[in-house]
Amino acid sequence: MSSTGSSQEPGLNQEGAVTRFFRVTEINPRMLGMVAALILIWCIFDVWSGFINPNEGLFGGSFLTPRNLWTLLVQTSSIAVMSSGMVLLIVMRQLDLSVGSMLSLVAVASAVLQVYQLGPLLGVGHPLIWVAGVALCLALGTGIGAVNGALTAYAKIPAFIVTLGGLIAYKGIAFLLASGETVAPMDQTFEVFGGGVQQSWLGPFWSWTLALVVCAVIIGALINGRRQRTRFNFTLRPVWAEFLLGVVGSGVVLGITKVMNSYPWPPKLIENFAAANNVVIPAGIEDRDGSAICMAAEKFVRCTTGLIYYTGYSLPVLVALAVGLVMTFIATRTVFGRYVYATGGNPEAAELSGINTKWLTIKVFALMGTLVGISSVISSARLNAATNSLGLSNELYVIAATVIGGTSLAGGVGTIYGAMLGALIMQSIISGMSLLNLPAAYQDMVVGGVLVLAVWLDQIYSRRLK
Amino acid sequence: MAKKAVKRVAPKKIPTKPAAAKKSGAVAESHESPLAVKNRQDFEASAPLVEMRDISIAFGGIKAVDRASIELRPGEVVGVLGHNGAGKSTLIKILSGAYQRDAGSILINGKEVTINNPRDAKAYGIETIYQTLALADNVDAAANLYLGRELKTRFGTLDDAAMESETRKVMHRLNPNFRRFKEPVVKLSGGQRQSVAIARAIHFNARILIMDEPTAALGPQETAQVGDLIKQLKADGIGIFLISHDLHDVFHLADKIVVMKNGKVVGTARTTDVTNDEVLGMIIAGKCPKGAIPGPGAMRDAA
Amino acid sequence: MKNIIKTIALGALLATAIGGVAEAKGKTIAVSWKTFQEERWKGDEAAIKKVVEAAGDKFISTDAQGSAQKQAADIEGLIAQKPDVIMVVAFDSDAILPSIKKISDAGIKSIAYDVQFEDPNALYITFDNVGVGRIMAKEVLKVKDSGNFAFIKGDKGDPNATFLFQGQLEVLKAQMDAGKIKNVCETFTDGWKPDNAQKNMEQCLTSTNNKVDAVLSENDGMASGVVAALKAQGLAGSVPVSGQDGDLAAINRVALGTQTVSVWKNTDDLGKAAANAAIALADGTAVDKIPGVAKFNGGKKKVEMNAILLAPTPITKANIGDAIKAGHITKEQACAGVKDGVDACK
Repeated sequence: MSSTGSSQEPGLNQEGAVTRFFRVTEINPRMLGMVAALILIWCIFDVWSGFINPNEGLFGGSFLTPRNLWTLLVQTSSIAVMSSGMVLLIVMRQLDLSVGSMLSLVAVASAVLQVYQLGPLLGVGHPLIWVAGVALCLALGTGIGAVNGALTAYAKIPAFIVTLGGLIAYKGIAFLLASGETVAPMDQTFEVFGGGVQQSWLGPFWSWTLALVVCAVIIGALINGRRQRTRFNFTLRPVWAEFLLGVVGSGVVLGITKVMNSYPWPPKLIENFAAANNVVIPAGIEDRDGSAICMAAEKFVRCTTGLIYYTGYSLPVLVALAVGLVMTFIATRTVFGRYVYATGGNPEAAELSGINTKWLTIKVFALMGTLVGISSVISSARLNAATNSLGLSNELYVIAATVIGGTSLAGGVGTIYGAMLGALIMQSIISGMSLLNLPAAYQDMVVGGVLVLAVWLDQIYSRRLK
Repeated sequence: MAKKAVKRVAPKKIPTKPAAAKKSGAVAESHESPLAVKNRQDFEASAPLVEMRDISIAFGGIKAVDRASIELRPGEVVGVLGHNGAGKSTLIKILSGAYQRDAGSILINGKEVTINNPRDAKAYGIETIYQTLALADNVDAAANLYLGRELKTRFGTLDDAAMESETRKVMHRLNPNFRRFKEPVVKLSGGQRQSVAIARAIHFNARILIMDEPTAALGPQETAQVGDLIKQLKADGIGIFLISHDLHDVFHLADKIVVMKNGKVVGTARTTDVTNDEVLGMIIAGKCPKGAIPGPGAMRDAA
Repeated sequence: MKNIIKTIALGALLATAIGGVAEAKGKTIAVSWKTFQEERWKGDEAAIKKVVEAAGDKFISTDAQGSAQKQAADIEGLIAQKPDVIMVVAFDSDAILPSIKKISDAGIKSIAYDVQFEDPNALYITFDNVGVGRIMAKEVLKVKDSGNFAFIKGDKGDPNATFLFQGQLEVLKAQMDAGKIKNVCETFTDGWKPDNAQKNMEQCLTSTNNKVDAVLSENDGMASGVVAALKAQGLAGSVPVSGQDGDLAAINRVALGTQTVSVWKNTDDLGKAAANAAIALADGTAVDKIPGVAKFNGGKKKVEMNAILLAPTPITKANIGDAIKAGHITKEQACAGVKDGVDACK
């Protein structure tokens, strides 16, 4: 690329069709590469698992089934939530190694409050219990994060050391809080945040409604963007590119929704629900592979056409998606986000521009803590228990997801959606290998390899760009 | 938080500035405003815009600046000269808020002020173009131009479109060829980056401009452009400190020169009263010639 | 905590009785702990100390703080104090062997406490881990004697995970050979982590399309993950699940019916047994004459050694009342959320 003052833009005729496509649509080629890698991984696992155990996946395996994809998203949500905060930290040239231990500590504290303190005091199932449980998670997470930040910013201890200390210390506190025991069960309403119970499933109607609203927002944003560009006389995207973005964006949203809405309730739950709500179960012929429930000779049996409910989006996934949206908004549309990126690009320049970088550091660490709080709600609600090992080595997965997602450890560069996609890629590998019954040791090897490979490819890519 | 602090301090400067009302946004006017002409005509008689008195600062026991005094009047260009390590950048960074002085006082329009950080300095209309440019490399020109002073929509979010639009206007005046508004500034050429840093300094109605080695990274053509810009700003009544280790960069642009050596001021002189060689003598040997007013750093046996 | 004090008091009584008979006054019993980082060892120490001191003997101990090097130095220090018996909780069961040789060279008796090291001269005292696996399988078999079984094993680096699995297979072998029980999933669980166990169980249910009839989880923490995964499929309560440790939450699950059995190893029992064996050894009793000693060669290198293997207690719906009576858990904790069908909760 030319970089002299007189010829900033290469002539359009010299520009390749591919380059032009990415420039005009403003799609990040790196992100497209990640999506392609993700789809490739999915296909490989589906084909491979099909050899071992034929199932109803897209290629005859168990991976590309609504059920597995649905579970995959739930399994990813906790790490994805934390990775969105890690992006801002790493962008700002900081790091938080303590998120895993912090998650254990926060989850155990909240569980102790729910199970040992409030349960006996208010009576199991009292609505205040879950409210207090969630509030404690968020407040404690934010508080610990702020302490990490204050030690880094004002005591000038490198974040690596502060949070390495936290990694060791918070784990110890979590152990002490419950004497190393598993604390369970959580409050019933609290459990809804984990996605394991039917109350946390949105159902097809609301899932479709939500999807349509999101599509409308995408199209609205495109129109609004075009209007803004017109107002300030900036160059406009070609109309085909606008349409393409609108169609692809809406298509992805509707497609994911379709998959989520194709995962039926487990038959046992349909049965229980029907019994509890006096729903009439139609008669039918038994089919062991069906997902619906029928009556055959006074007995509940599985069948293909009978009573069936679909799950739709589950709460933890919605929480993760909402966090992703809010964090993207914070990163790109607010002064706070702008300062974080600018400080990461050049801390001295940020300081000289009048940015209070110390206070900013505290805020970013506190935000990370809040997200750890959210993740601790999801993880402990999902497990319906909390233990001091709950978040063990999560910090490694969170940092790996962030780095796979394209965040540079040199600071200044990184996106929220990239990190969340990175988390999904990593969880896909872990879940896929577990589906193949491969031991955890292989999972570790492959995830570690993918991390290094991702950074290597990234460097080749950015070197070629220069 | 930072924003609020600026707003609280800002109102103070308006009543104390004689030219503030007239001057706002007039960066690009090539003709001199009547007030600027007046300022220039009696700049010796007018109150100094900035006075730094007996400023000292030490880093780990070493006196980087030792009892240095310096002043600047509206529409005046003062060249601050000296070798690398003479203390000129440090002195000026005290004014821009990057360092805090150990002793001495700073007066703006005759009133003593406290400058603890860059935000305070900006509130008094002091803008700085650093030698390193101090740009956040990973964000675009508009984000750099408005860094710390972002424009916001009525919802409190960043108004990127408005910022880019304003940036296009100001950049068009400084560097009409500039068109790479969407790219992070790390991808720009040295001259383009310089334009962004200059635009940032002059866009917010600066009263006092500090330029630290402004032409060090530039080619001859771009250096000439900066020279033109300085003349234009001077005509608008802005006071400028021009810091350089190279005498030739500043001699023809400056009204006065201040030479520093080992943290002390060697002497102050009008450029009309001294020759190139005499200034060189001040820089190299600390010898103060007849046409200059000697400072604490002048050699005893000189002249 | 009340329960600990009770058992300690009981142990002290017992020990006084034994001590009176054995006339072991003035002997010294030493212990080299691997780490006090894990809280349980402090409970073990309290149990041993009570018995030893009640017998009129001296008790000394060191803490290796999780370091094999420090443990070697600790043992040298202990030998210098000329005790009669040294009990060792080995941090590393291979690296400890030279130190054990030094102990026997000095004419001191050694006991491998809870963690095995393979030295033929030492007495090995532990819970029967293979037995724990056997008990788990037996209790599950009582509920489900055929179908698809899933095995959620512990961490791959922990030999106990394999011992447990081995015990389970011993019991299930006949049914498996007959083709009545099918092993459909078998996974190690990194770090014995409940959330990993949950993910593994979810993948197991996905790959078998929920056709899992019983789950053998090797501890209670992992059982919590397994039960959460089963619950999401509406299967919790109908699929038997095993566990061990006697976790409070697990006993509650047993009462609720979502877990079948939690095998409980009462560490006070282990401490008392070890202390009594140590006193006997100090008094000059031959190793193979100590009550409960049997030959054991189930270790990595198949070295035959004398061992006391304590039988752990299975906690099931039927005997939850015993755990409550023993003070291990309160009735409120055990019975939280239990609606009916458990006698102990009435």
